[in-house]
Amino acid sequence: MPPPAAPGSEVPLGVNEMRLGPRQWLAAAAIILACALGIPRIWKHAAPLETGPDYRIPYQLSKDYWLYQWRLERIAEPAAAPPAVPVLGDSVIWGEYVRPDGTLTHFLSRETGQTGRFLNCGVNGLFPLAMEGLVRYYGESLRNRKVVVHCNVLWMSSPKADLSAKKEQEFNHSRLVPQFSPRIPCYRADASERLSAVVERHVGFFGWVSHLDNVSFDQRSIPAWTLEADESRPPQYPNAWRNPLGRITVALPGEAEDDPDRGPRSPRHKPWTAGETAAAARFEWVDLDASLQWQAFQRLIGLLQGRGCDVLVVLGPFNEHMVAREQRAAFHKLRDGIAAWLAAAEVAHVVPETLPSDLYADASHPLTDGYERLAKGICRDAAFREWLER
Amino acid sequence: MLFHTWPFLIFMLIVLPVYFALRRTPLWIPWLLAASYFFYGWWNPYYLLLVVYSTTLDYLLVTLMDHCPGAGQARAGPLDTVLRAALGLSAGLAVALVGGAWLGPAPLRPTLLVLSALVLLMSVGAFFGSRRIWLLISLVNNLTLLLFFKYARFVVENLNHVLVWLHVSYRFADPSTLMPYGWSYVLPVGISFFTFQSMSYTIDFYLGKVARERNILRFATFVCFFPQLMAGPIERAKHLLPQFQAAPPLGLRNLTDGLSLFLVGLFKKLALANYLAVYVDRVYSDPAAMDASALVLATFAFAWQIFFDFSGYTDMARGLARMMGFNLILNFNNPYLATGLGDFWSRWHISLSTWFRDYVYIPLGGSRRGTLATYRNLFITFLVSGIWHGANWTFAIWGVLHALGVMLTRELERSAFYRDRVHPLVKQAWVFMYVCFAWIFFRATSLSQAGLVIRRIGGGVWSNPGIPALMLLLVCLVWLYQFAYESRFRGLLAASGVRVTLAACMVLYLCLCSSGGGTFIYFQF
Repeated sequence: MPPPAAPGSEVPLGVNEMRLGPRQWLAAAAIILACALGIPRIWKHAAPLETGPDYRIPYQLSKDYWLYQWRLERIAEPAAAPPAVPVLGDSVIWGEYVRPDGTLTHFLSRETGQTGRFLNCGVNGLFPLAMEGLVRYYGESLRNRKVVVHCNVLWMSSPKADLSAKKEQEFNHSRLVPQFSPRIPCYRADASERLSAVVERHVGFFGWVSHLDNVSFDQRSIPAWTLEADESRPPQYPNAWRNPLGRITVALPGEAEDDPDRGPRSPRHKPWTAGETAAAARFEWVDLDASLQWQAFQRLIGLLQGRGCDVLVVLGPFNEHMVAREQRAAFHKLRDGIAAWLAAAEVAHVVPETLPSDLYADASHPLTDGYERLAKGICRDAAFREWLER
Repeated sequence: MLFHTWPFLIFMLIVLPVYFALRRTPLWIPWLLAASYFFYGWWNPYYLLLVVYSTTLDYLLVTLMDHCPGAGQARAGPLDTVLRAALGLSAGLAVALVGGAWLGPAPLRPTLLVLSALVLLMSVGAFFGSRRIWLLISLVNNLTLLLFFKYARFVVENLNHVLVWLHVSYRFADPSTLMPYGWSYVLPVGISFFTFQSMSYTIDFYLGKVARERNILRFATFVCFFPQLMAGPIERAKHLLPQFQAAPPLGLRNLTDGLSLFLVGLFKKLALANYLAVYVDRVYSDPAAMDASALVLATFAFAWQIFFDFSGYTDMARGLARMMGFNLILNFNNPYLATGLGDFWSRWHISLSTWFRDYVYIPLGGSRRGTLATYRNLFITFLVSGIWHGANWTFAIWGVLHALGVMLTRELERSAFYRDRVHPLVKQAWVFMYVCFAWIFFRATSLSQAGLVIRRIGGGVWSNPGIPALMLLLVCLVWLYQFAYESRFRGLLAASGVRVTLAACMVLYLCLCSSGGGTFIYFQF
């Protein structure tokens, strides 16, 4: 038991005290600020961001928003005329089942005869609520240029997909969605998590740290990476004695040449009709007026236009063959409602015809031939041609 | 609300400037109180009622105590007016509560009956005008809250086990069935801390060590001052209450000192404790599959984890208080550099160990009644201290181990041989090893798990434990820092450039390598 303290004795600040005075704090703050502002900038200058005409953000880096921002900044740099056109969207634009040279942007560039004119800026799972956040906070450089935005009605095919269901659910890209307003009923993150998402959007250094973790440490923080264990008993720790500094790389992981999950030779690359679930599905289409995703999409278009962008929306084509016959009227009403709003808002848009059934891999993703046919169809569309030439 | 979260930053960005602005007005205490209640209510607004209840009752009891004759004095003349009013009110309230329990809804019955017993006891106190009875009510009330929320389920489970063993069919009901409407049976965060703090005030007033605090808002702020509300340090009225008499002077130095402490605490929690926790949790979640080397290292890692976690919280709490101009007591003093077990307890969780010293050990007789009585008192004090940490036999054994350790080494530590001939490093090493051995029981989820860990350490296989080099490096650096601070190199560490570099490195490390959030270990106590 400790001896009683002498009455009135002054309480020490602490043991092993590391007491900084005002000037010392200022000096420390200056060092921290210099690092926080300087390191990401130096990184962008030092690191190569090799993007070919069909470049797309690697699948495993889908949540590396800093990389996305960096890429958009590169796109914004003055280049040869005509300027490249970023195509924003989810995995339909990214090309879930196809190789980089089998995507919509590849075929659009080919059809317009300008290699690399259309840039694949798709991100897996990027629903409109997240796309709005991505463009708002990481797409500042998207200004005064032509932009194509894909609208996938799959995100309005049920209250769950629309994120308007009340039941709590986990979803991709939750850090991009509005954290406080408008309210997303199924999103139940606590205040700390919401605020940390807000801070990360506005402090570029945190984005860079996240990029570093994504690229160099298998999407983990450095401590978590050192503690990575396998499933054996007792677990083995392959990284325990590896030097984390030696892992840091400026090079970005590329796309595998022979990705077994994508491309015509992949077993996943097959028509949906060949699968076991090739039956008409029932969708619970949400009311357009109440749809959170649609409202976000509208805000996104307004945001891009506010930044001086000339926007063209590609609406669909959704795999209508998959929609039960008695539900097609509801689907058409939704699609036509979107088109009507775009027309009323004088937003250039294309509503491609539904592709043949065997050119879809699922409800919304075309196969390679589907993308080719879709690109041809878009390029034939008068609205697209007029938009491209103006 | 946790100190290392963004909501807390926003909370402080509002609380601090308003506090500074109100310093010259009488509103600064209400503001601190409102901030403290908001801070606690953020976790669970219902349980805020417990804090308010405990505070109000202790304030009332001390007020009534103040109207009674002092210790050893007989009552002169008729009953004091205040006591007469208290007698009438408490007797009436007791009848109303019994009536309410009789006629009211069943879920409220247990709560009303307990309250009526308490109020009845108050009327007895008022009738006799006895300070002792008021003190008793305060102790009964605070300890009942603590025992019910913290230990009732443990006691019921153990009693039911005994009934099974005796082949008796009766079973005690789970304490959750006694909760009133809308309340769930969970341990209110910080209950062990704010009840002890409040109790120390009533005991000290009874003993004449502190004056009565007449301002209830000031007393309530003392009980629930937000930096130390959740996990201490457990302050004493004579130290903290005087600091609330007038707003402390505003100074840039306070702010920078507070920030320095807060940064060190934040680093301990996020960079060290949370990192170590991942390894420790993994090993202790499946000890049967672990080699001896992993179990030994995980136990060492836990020793550091709990130190960084708890002392990190304390540093942050003291830093926050310092920013506002208040001094909270020192709670840790390099405990792993202790050269004896007694020394360890004068360095570890100082506010709790002094509390037990003053309110358990000394009232039991301390070391004044011979060797055997001293050992008995030490044993009881450490046992109670162990049980204070949680409702599990593992905590009791942890307390017993420390009691035995202190008892067995007390004379040795006092001997000239130990004091002068044994190298301090050897003493520090053995104390650390013994403390780590006791930590096994503290960390294990059950006695059988603790036994398994010890058996596997004793007879298990030694292989690569897989502890990360980065983790070892960080702990070694902290240890080295502590050693250097105690050595002739202290001046080097105090150099301005070194401090600035260290602070900048700590912040950058936190940005780069922070191991996520997570609550504090001592919140569960």
